[in-house]
Amino acid sequence: MIDAISAGLLALLTPQAVLFLFLGVIYGLVIGILPGLGGVVAMALLLPFTYGFETAATLALLLGAHIATIWGDSVTSILFSVPGSAKGLALCFDGYPMTKQGKAKRALAASATGALLGGIIGAVFLALCIPLIRPVILALGPSEYLMMALWGLTVIATFSEGSLMKGMTASVLGVLVAFIGTDVVTATPRFTFGNEFLLDGISFPVAMIGLFAVSEMMKMSIRGTPIIDRSLVREDSTVWEGVCDAFHHWWLVVRSSLLGLWIGVLPGVGASVAGLAAYAQAAQTSKTPERFGKGAVEGVIAPDATMGANEGGGLMPTLAFGIPGGESMAILLVAFIGLGIVPGPDMLTKNLDVVFSMVWIIVLANILVTIIGLGITPWLARLPSLQANLMVPMVLSVCFVGAYATRGRIEDVVVAAVFGVVGYLMDKYRYSRANFVIGMVLAVMIERNLHISINLYGADFLLDRPIALAMLIFVVVTAALPFWRERRRKRAALRAGGVA
Amino acid sequence: MSRNAQDNLISVMLIAVFGLVIYLCQDFGPRARLIPLPLAVFGIVLTLAQLAWHNLGRDDAPPIEMISVDTRAITANAEGQPRTERTEEQLGQWGEAGAYLIVALLVGMIFTVGIFPTVFIFTAAYLILTRYCTVVRGLVYSAALTVSVYLLFVVALDMQPYHGLLAAWLS
Repeated sequence: MIDAISAGLLALLTPQAVLFLFLGVIYGLVIGILPGLGGVVAMALLLPFTYGFETAATLALLLGAHIATIWGDSVTSILFSVPGSAKGLALCFDGYPMTKQGKAKRALAASATGALLGGIIGAVFLALCIPLIRPVILALGPSEYLMMALWGLTVIATFSEGSLMKGMTASVLGVLVAFIGTDVVTATPRFTFGNEFLLDGISFPVAMIGLFAVSEMMKMSIRGTPIIDRSLVREDSTVWEGVCDAFHHWWLVVRSSLLGLWIGVLPGVGASVAGLAAYAQAAQTSKTPERFGKGAVEGVIAPDATMGANEGGGLMPTLAFGIPGGESMAILLVAFIGLGIVPGPDMLTKNLDVVFSMVWIIVLANILVTIIGLGITPWLARLPSLQANLMVPMVLSVCFVGAYATRGRIEDVVVAAVFGVVGYLMDKYRYSRANFVIGMVLAVMIERNLHISINLYGADFLLDRPIALAMLIFVVVTAALPFWRERRRKRAALRAGGVA
Repeated sequence: MSRNAQDNLISVMLIAVFGLVIYLCQDFGPRARLIPLPLAVFGIVLTLAQLAWHNLGRDDAPPIEMISVDTRAITANAEGQPRTERTEEQLGQWGEAGAYLIVALLVGMIFTVGIFPTVFIFTAAYLILTRYCTVVRGLVYSAALTVSVYLLFVVALDMQPYHGLLAAWLS
């Protein structure tokens, strides 16, 4: 194993591999910051350039770009509350409030350092767990994935503590919107009104652009003031504070990283769920959960650490079984074919050096992203203080171009505009947009796994799947936790009032 | 229209949407409606409960979300006072209508003249009309943005630009 680790690193020390890693990271950062375009687009566009080069260099280009998009996504979420893709959503909850409090530098630095630590922890644990993970993956089936998706939905309970009914209504709407298009199970066109465009469903990145970016620009055009008025709120944080925050909350980083690694290992779950789950666990396990949503730095560190580690985890099923852990891993799989690499059990025995090359790429790309990220943070932190009259036309234009570029269909521009108006109204009348997005993300996963479970094990599939049953109990407990804590807090307050 | 009435109107619209979903589900097979149908019913129940709760005038009516992407969460004015709902409403319905108009105009322009001419015209017009900068500067900024967007999306990302109905009509 030690030989494979050193061979994996040596393969990356060629000039071509180093150059490709650097290029991939820069390219990934730019793509990550553009609305609607994430790691999947970044890797897909690089695919034609991957033939004829060294294996390690090609992997460095692809994985480097993919990893850099993670922090690129986080930047726009933190500075403008505009997630570049679904992965960055959780960063909006506390990153944006930090920006508005004049702590953008701290938030960006904490995010970059959290992602770095998460990436390294994820890579190290991946290396150690390679022999152990395989039987665990094989033990899980669609029923267990269904329970995991339901667990994701219970995150909503955390987000909506207080206005639960509006929050749940928003998530119901999100789930229903995700069902627009051809049903993957029965091939029934649903809610398409005979429209051919709607048969393909609503593009998730386009909906995100509308819900967050377009609606935020609408709000800004109404207010006419920048996100931060520097005459009222001064930027009083430093990059160093953010770096220290990530190390100060080391236990949160470790927990979040392991969660990210675990979610990454599960095929088809994805980083968007990982970020939200990390945020939920950070809020639920915090001694001061009331700070979350108001600019708690832990709310920035946890999702980034999770997403950093998630990439390492996603490699596992891709390499060991040829089952991609997510869309980006599916593209990596295509690149493997071009490189003559055959995923399967042999990857973990005969081609272990290639596996460790990828582990090293994750580590090195994360280090590079963090160095660049920390370097440009002071400049990035100035962006939210740009005048509204400059921001609105520029961001709106880029958003609509991004919406069109997602699938190259002009109808997506209309979809982005419609979702922009919907997002604006949801924000105005306090229907959580985050819940809507969570509903959209998990809808297809829930429906597909429910159908497969019923097909395989019958309607009472839970009785046949004890792991799924145990997971359901876990889901119920975690869903009830915020309410139980709230009740306890109220009782304590009442008791304190009575004593006084 | 009062805020209360607006909230009620939104709830009624939501009930109509969920009702439409239930109606449309009747055409689907049992498997295709396995999740959407009960979910829409659940949506109606939730919205009715919200409506009742809201109009019963309870002081502890569903409060604002604890965790939300909402930008109101921490906004404060110069005196450090939390910004109230009224401040937002004082911005006036004209501003809101203007925001809808901007989005509609942008979409309409994209359909008519294509993506990149729209980026240039819209940005220049916005910068100049809002008096953010002089006409010359506005044109320079817009040209710079259009070129950057073109290079990124068309040259680097290989996107096929949409040329608009006008170009199709002219050709």
